[in-house]
Amino acid sequence: MPYRDAHSHRPLIDLIPDHSLDASDEEDAFYAHDEGDYLLHPKWRAMINRTTNRIPRRIQRYFVIYLLFAVVLLVSWRIYLGPQYAVYRKELAQMDSEPKEAFGKNVRPEFKGMTQVEQLSQKLLPTGNGRLVVVGDVHGCKEELEQLLKKVDFREGKDHLILTGDIIAKGPDSPGVVSLAHRLHASCVRGNHEDKLLLSLAETASHPNPAIPGPNESPSRTPDFLDEESFSHGDYEVRKLAKSFSHDQISWLQKCPVILRVGKLGDLGEVVVVHAGLVPDISLENQDPFHVMNMRTIDLKTRLPSENRDGTPWEKFWNHQQKKKPAHERTTVIYGHDRKRGKNIQKYSMGLDSGCVSGGHLTAMVIDADGKHKFVEVKCKGYVD
Amino acid sequence: MGKISLTGGDMKGPGRTWTEVRGLRDPPRKYFHESTFDAHYDGRFASTPLPSSQRQPHLRALVKTYLSTMHALGAETWIMHGSLLGWWWNRRIMPWDSDIDVQVSEASLAFLAQYYNMTVHTFRDLEVPVLDDGSGKEEEQEEQEGRKKVDGEAKSYLLEINPHWTNGDVRDTHNVIDARWIDTATGLFIDITALRVNHSSPAPLSLYCKDTHRYLSTQIFPLRTSVFEHVPVRIPYAYQALLAAEYGEDALVNTEFQRHRFDQASMEWRPVGKLGGSEQEKLEEEKWRARGRKPGRRPLAVVDVDKEEVEAGEGEVGGGSGAFEQFGS
Repeated sequence: MPYRDAHSHRPLIDLIPDHSLDASDEEDAFYAHDEGDYLLHPKWRAMINRTTNRIPRRIQRYFVIYLLFAVVLLVSWRIYLGPQYAVYRKELAQMDSEPKEAFGKNVRPEFKGMTQVEQLSQKLLPTGNGRLVVVGDVHGCKEELEQLLKKVDFREGKDHLILTGDIIAKGPDSPGVVSLAHRLHASCVRGNHEDKLLLSLAETASHPNPAIPGPNESPSRTPDFLDEESFSHGDYEVRKLAKSFSHDQISWLQKCPVILRVGKLGDLGEVVVVHAGLVPDISLENQDPFHVMNMRTIDLKTRLPSENRDGTPWEKFWNHQQKKKPAHERTTVIYGHDRKRGKNIQKYSMGLDSGCVSGGHLTAMVIDADGKHKFVEVKCKGYVD
Repeated sequence: MGKISLTGGDMKGPGRTWTEVRGLRDPPRKYFHESTFDAHYDGRFASTPLPSSQRQPHLRALVKTYLSTMHALGAETWIMHGSLLGWWWNRRIMPWDSDIDVQVSEASLAFLAQYYNMTVHTFRDLEVPVLDDGSGKEEEQEEQEGRKKVDGEAKSYLLEINPHWTNGDVRDTHNVIDARWIDTATGLFIDITALRVNHSSPAPLSLYCKDTHRYLSTQIFPLRTSVFEHVPVRIPYAYQALLAAEYGEDALVNTEFQRHRFDQASMEWRPVGKLGGSEQEKLEEEKWRARGRKPGRRPLAVVDVDKEEVEAGEGEVGGGSGAFEQFGS
């Protein structure tokens, strides 16, 4: 209360002179907008008033909002969408270009004990209500494969099962999966895991020298058909896996080709099954088998495929090139391999690896006689990270 | 080479002869000695290099005999570097490649050292042309008639292991070549290097050679079986990744190298026209020269580089371009 004390209870209003409180609303000055008066000539102001009065207030408000929106759009274009679009344009140009020096001029690497291309028997193509069931990377998940076959109502003799490779390794029951596939007369293609296993076994077989115990082996181990020497290059996983198979199972795996040519399937056109991918514009016979089992991307400048993820995804280039071809020459590739990208369905490429072994799904593509298809999945338990 | 007893002189230093200074005499720690006339020959078996037209057939015989012997002995061996690139293009030695690059596993080298050191392996009916004056016609003739056979005439190859092979230390720079397969008629040889496990590395997958090349075991093993110069050969698992890492992706794409063009009809490297004075050809020449600097891609004709290599003395150990490229990279 010191203030009141100082002015001995006199209200503040009394300190204001009377005349300055007079403000009549009958005078024009009362309604005048002070701030604009000096910036714009009255003639101009009148013109603006005439136009703005015709535009409803709500629309004027929207105009501000639109302006703000445009600014946001412009900024985001400049810092994000623009560069993205430039990359897209460049990629498109590269995909359409025909480099003078491109991958595929060498003699195709050929290896012992490896079938490059196999034609699926005409008898196995779907007719009537028969279907083709193509399943992505099983990786030894036998339980899930059985569940999936039950879910699609797989009928032995009528439907035909095709596996996209990597049916072994990582998961709990690789030999079981091979036996099941063998029993169902399934077709399969060679994946990178089958490749590694079969090469390791071939190396062992060609080795006449007696084995020397490896660092992780007990010296009292009994000799088996696996010679330690070839497996002591650090890959004990493969050795352990190899020991779990019977000779029959190995010889069944050995027969899986790198590329399975399925043939024409109605709407899908020509269908091919591989494990990883294909380089467009190179015949199936001349595809480098390592890449067919391992590729993820393609370098558009050199057209060199790679298992790294740095380049353009191969399926993107594949789809682009197919669309340029006349309809009857287009080829649809069904593949697996790329667990990280997961199920990846595009017009001319069907990626079926949805990471079953690491707790994802096991995916089947079910194709009928007309090439009409659907995808069926089961949830997996997950056995590895 | 006898010692040239010149004493004194600033460059020479104490205890070294002039031949050593000039690189003509190897340091005493070095086991394998290359000839004084060319680092690709063993001086014990030759006094002159082969005429360039005959080098290729002899290289082919060298690699064929080596691969079949190793296969028969059960020693694990595979091709690398320039030879692997040659295999990649058309399963043959590249016409401008001057040597063969092979590796063996450490266990295989131990096996060879224990039982097969200094063994001589004799082959009959090899498809190798007889030595002649080395005119250029010979090669064309040979190409047309198929390889001439030296009927009845045997060729002998010596498998020699470097006793320093037990020393896996990369600082032993005088003995980076672990073994040699030597043609006792011409002095040509194949350098054999062992792929060793790097025990000091925590990862069990790290491998190296004494020539300081490093690999992951998953890049090399399991080996594949293919064909090289019409004989079975082992190829490292991830062949293309190894080649791309060593020579760059261009080496797998460009069809023009070292005055040769990869002909799509015959799938062979064909020499392109002799150099003339025209601008275009000069440009091409420059392009090749630039490429020639890449490891393993030196043209046969660049003898100057070989001389420099010999004169450099110290770091140079056998293998000619093989060793050269390794130190250069």
